[in-house]
Amino acid sequence: MTDSPLRRSIGWYRMPILIIALLTSLVFYLPFLVVVTTSWTQTSFIIFPPEGFSLQSYTGVLTDQEWRDAFKVSLRVASVGTVIAVLLGTLGALALTRLRSRAARSWIRTLFIVPMAIPPVAYAVGLYSVSVQAELLQDNLALLMLGEALLAVPYVFVMVSSGLSQADPALRPVASTLGASWPLIVWRVDLPMIVGHMLAGAVFAFAVIFDEVVLSVFLTPIGVKTLPLQMLTASQEELSPQLTAASTLVSMLAVLLLGGYSLFSNRRTARARRLSRKAATA
Amino acid sequence: MSIALSIQDVHVTLGHFEVLKGVSLDAEPGTFVTLLGASGSGKTTLLNVIAGLQQLDRGHVLFDGQNVERRPPRKRKVGVVFQSYALFPHMSVGDNVAFPLRAARRPSVERRKVVQEMLELVDLAGMVNRAPASLSGGQRQRVALARALASDPGILLLDEPMAALDKQLRERMQVEIKRIQQQVGITTVAVTHDQAEAMTMSDQVAIMHEGTLVQVDSPENLYRRPVNEYVASFLGEANLFPADRGGPLALDAAGQATGTAVIRPEDLVVLAPDQLGDHWRVPGVVRLLSFQGSRFRLEVVTATGRSVVCSLPPHTDASALVPGSEVILGCGAPDRVHVIHRSDAGDALEVAA
Repeated sequence: MTDSPLRRSIGWYRMPILIIALLTSLVFYLPFLVVVTTSWTQTSFIIFPPEGFSLQSYTGVLTDQEWRDAFKVSLRVASVGTVIAVLLGTLGALALTRLRSRAARSWIRTLFIVPMAIPPVAYAVGLYSVSVQAELLQDNLALLMLGEALLAVPYVFVMVSSGLSQADPALRPVASTLGASWPLIVWRVDLPMIVGHMLAGAVFAFAVIFDEVVLSVFLTPIGVKTLPLQMLTASQEELSPQLTAASTLVSMLAVLLLGGYSLFSNRRTARARRLSRKAATA
Repeated sequence: MSIALSIQDVHVTLGHFEVLKGVSLDAEPGTFVTLLGASGSGKTTLLNVIAGLQQLDRGHVLFDGQNVERRPPRKRKVGVVFQSYALFPHMSVGDNVAFPLRAARRPSVERRKVVQEMLELVDLAGMVNRAPASLSGGQRQRVALARALASDPGILLLDEPMAALDKQLRERMQVEIKRIQQQVGITTVAVTHDQAEAMTMSDQVAIMHEGTLVQVDSPENLYRRPVNEYVASFLGEANLFPADRGGPLALDAAGQATGTAVIRPEDLVVLAPDQLGDHWRVPGVVRLLSFQGSRFRLEVVTATGRSVVCSLPPHTDASALVPGSEVILGCGAPDRVHVIHRSDAGDALEVAA
């Protein structure tokens, strides 16, 4: 690290680069740090800089029935939604590799990714009109779970597709010449290669769904609130430090989830690299 | 179990491009046939047709006399080794080799036994539990070969098997693959653009050019008796001279030619002034003389600008053959001169046009 060729070749240019990088990361994290600090204030309203230090708003959030219910609802919605999203996204990505026509492939790929750019409110209104029509879907979370899953499908699709595109395209033909039927090819050839990418897709899907508020506004039954919805209402009623405490907790969860995942996948790539280095010397 | 392969008048079109224009090929059980051609000649497409990975527009593929063109790849009992080897990266070497047996639902005892046999056959007995990523290129190729042979296929298909190996390893693996093929006695079709590779491994070489098979013959016959100028200059170095029924003509008599004489560089000699006689000869000027270990390669330019290549024994006294000096080349082995007669079909076409 001391005197790498890159550092030497960059020379004095690296100072401004470093400063810009630091400023950028401040822009990223400063608001978050402000939120975190306000959550430990002793006052009953949000104030910055905080006055004193206490964890009373945390204990408040964690013991309050309303917050706890909202957390549980969100957990359920996010879990089921993630499972659906992973299923649909993976199947879509797998199906795409089986298409022969290149034009059809690129069209369908686009159609899978475009929903990322569609505002959630469009889904929300659409699904809301469905729920008005179908009584079966009222007073439960099914439609919300489905809607959230649809929002998350593109993320899973992108992750899994990238995993599949890294694989040798000859693997499937070779498996078929070796006598494998398609279920065996999916199970023994495709899936083992993309498990990691499915996991990454799941992590993203979960994070997206857990944070999503627009669909919750439209599709939660009366009296039920997801965590983001609870935060939204809390922010409208009173700016209590409980709100920032809750968002700190949610952020921590996200950091743990994503950070844990990237640590895990780094270890995997490191292992793969070790293996190929061994091959090179063998 | 080794099958007879018969390909009859196969046509394949990809997009608007006619890749195979009526290809027919027969291979006896147990023979090694190599499809040799420049890139884009359709050789890999033909291999995929045999494997069932490429649909054909017209024509037939027969295994032991049975039509298989409607059979999906997994029911054809073919063993394919792809250019990239396509080993399953998440499986051990043993699991890779056992894959076809797993697909055929063979019991695990049998799987283990066959894996053992196959890895011994390809000289990798101790590697069962290794990951493909930890193997060298040559080892990966041998694993792919073992996997392709594990389910006892009727035919083995090799797609550019040496493309991913360095030169030294290539020559070793050519001999190795030939040994394994003979030991198993399996009908084999390989694709390559490397003529040395084709000559080393094959019983029969099929020269492909722009979607057709130009000539299918033993390596020696292809070299000695090419059917046309393309084959002659594709395989090794060839000097082409105008010729009639009697043999090569003097260069100024090209107008009377009814064919082309193929004279290989090793059949040309430098004539001393007292050897001239009234034999056929080509006068020219030395352009380049290079020593290549087993021979001198002498390049001569004739008055008409034609380049002629001649091989001289390595112990030749080459001091007189400096660039710019005049030499007269003659044919040292008139009986080995091959004349390609203009085919009657070609003449008929010319008349019709």
